[in-house]
Amino acid sequence: MDPLTLGGLVALGTILILFSGVSVAIGLLIVSALFLMIFDGMRSLELMPEIFFGKLDNFALLSIPMFIIMGASIASTRAGADLYEALERWLTRVPGGLVISNLGACALFSAMSGSSPATCAAIGKMGIPEMRKRGYSDEVAAGSIAAGGTLGILIPPSVTMIVYGIATETSIGRLFLAGVFPGLLLVGLFMAWSLYSTWRSGNTEVLTKTVYTWKQKLEILPRVLPFIAIIIGVLYAMYGGIATPSETAAVGALLCLLIAIVIYKLWSPVKLWEVLRDSTKESVMILFIIGAAGVFSYMLSSLFITQAIAEWIGTLDVNRWVLMFAVNVFLLVAGFFLPPVAVILMAAPILLPIITTAGFDPIWFAVVLTINMEIGLISPPVGLNLYVINGIAPDIKLKTILAGSLPFVACMVIAIVLLCFFPGIATWLPNAVMGV
Amino acid sequence: MAGQSTAAVARTGDNLFLKAVAALSTLAGWISAAMILAAVALTCQMIFVRFVLNGSTVWQTEAVIYLAVGATLIGLPYVQRLRGHVNVDLIPLMLPRTVRRYAAIFTLSISIAIICVMFFYGYEYWHFAWERGWRSDTVWGPKLWVPYLALPLGFGLLLLQLVADLIAVILRIDAPFGLEEGGPS
Repeated sequence: MDPLTLGGLVALGTILILFSGVSVAIGLLIVSALFLMIFDGMRSLELMPEIFFGKLDNFALLSIPMFIIMGASIASTRAGADLYEALERWLTRVPGGLVISNLGACALFSAMSGSSPATCAAIGKMGIPEMRKRGYSDEVAAGSIAAGGTLGILIPPSVTMIVYGIATETSIGRLFLAGVFPGLLLVGLFMAWSLYSTWRSGNTEVLTKTVYTWKQKLEILPRVLPFIAIIIGVLYAMYGGIATPSETAAVGALLCLLIAIVIYKLWSPVKLWEVLRDSTKESVMILFIIGAAGVFSYMLSSLFITQAIAEWIGTLDVNRWVLMFAVNVFLLVAGFFLPPVAVILMAAPILLPIITTAGFDPIWFAVVLTINMEIGLISPPVGLNLYVINGIAPDIKLKTILAGSLPFVACMVIAIVLLCFFPGIATWLPNAVMGV
Repeated sequence: MAGQSTAAVARTGDNLFLKAVAALSTLAGWISAAMILAAVALTCQMIFVRFVLNGSTVWQTEAVIYLAVGATLIGLPYVQRLRGHVNVDLIPLMLPRTVRRYAAIFTLSISIAIICVMFFYGYEYWHFAWERGWRSDTVWGPKLWVPYLALPLGFGLLLLQLVADLIAVILRIDAPFGLEEGGPS
């Protein structure tokens, strides 16, 4: 059979199997086994465990459990609350300080914890009631937190970026840097919308402030600085060429765990086990998909599907931006149903040849893809952030949360468009720091 | 994370087999967590030796990788028990309860089939390495059957947990896909 038709069949088979409700990793193994068996003979099944093991046999992958432990230990503490308070005290003089400090706290905390739902829960628990109390609309209160929580997969250190780096063999260091300015751009757009919509509603008096003394401003700092210092230290060690991402992440994980134990008094074995259990669960889930996606991509290339797609795209006479648009629509749809890491691992072996053949920079594409995945986190049917917000503020209707999130989705789309016109927003920093 | 099942831990009821498998999977989870922690500690030790003592490290990198791969494989049954392996549960959620039950039996059965394949060939691969005394081609050169043991062990335990999940759905001890709510009945 012609490899392209075969590729179509694989795509169809994968969609059918995944929508049956089977877990993503097992689904990928099933599709791989079926196609290998039919088109390459029974003997190729023998290779599956070997390929699975070989895919995981990689030092770079270690950064995944390490960054997850780092994030989980931060998320287990009151750090989110402290961060929120600190920003609120410091930004109180800025017009609309409350929503600005909420978004700032979301950006920082989601980058530190690496978890979108944990950020929504940690910041939202205080932020949403406070914003509503001071007269912000339910839409802005819920939407800003839901959207703010998604920033963590873009702002470094980001597990999603690590997974992309591993799947496409691009430099994790460059990917991290590429996420910085687009992340700030998104924060800016989110803030701009929140302020504009509050101002437009005529509710301008909520934009004014409460006053804090310098004592109140300073006393909160020691509680938030340690974690921020560790994150900066980890990134510095990485870019200073002192150690690899996995090594720095291991030190970061140990330090964050120690700080959680010492400063935040996470003594109890039950609490510690919860941190470890959650990290193990998340890491094993991601690494299982990575191994299975390795088998999947082996199947694609041994049946010449990857190569055929790349060739086919090369002969297509379409504008490369039309192609980029199609790729984004595909990713958007996939992101509605699947978590970012699963989309990246499944799509990377197919999309990367398309992207590079069409002359796009894989580092720039990582940023576009990640923002695209952020949209999935706040869109139905499975946008988890919406449900987390619904859980912590049950009296705000899901419909209102969704309506509040939509303008932020628009901000993300604007960011993607801006990135298409000005790719330097993503590529300038990695090129400036690490050379072209 | 989007798509991650919000369902609760798999239920065992009073069934002895289900309880035994649950205990085994939980034990595997502890071992997996311990291996990840050991990997963190060992990586830190490696950095200490290299940057503080200015020494060279021979075996640590490889050992850490094998620990992480081992933790992944051995952690599989525990994460299955916690329903932590992400899936798309959109269609199962829309199905009426009776159909949902058959869908769960179907997906668990095909999962069992593929994990049987991985277990069988994983065992063969490990057995090869053991019988022929394969060693890794590094300076340290550890015997490869040790890390490869995680393949049959991990997939074997996952197989057990999947069989237990299937039995729990068939005996109506656990809700299909762990979804208690929703669905037109």
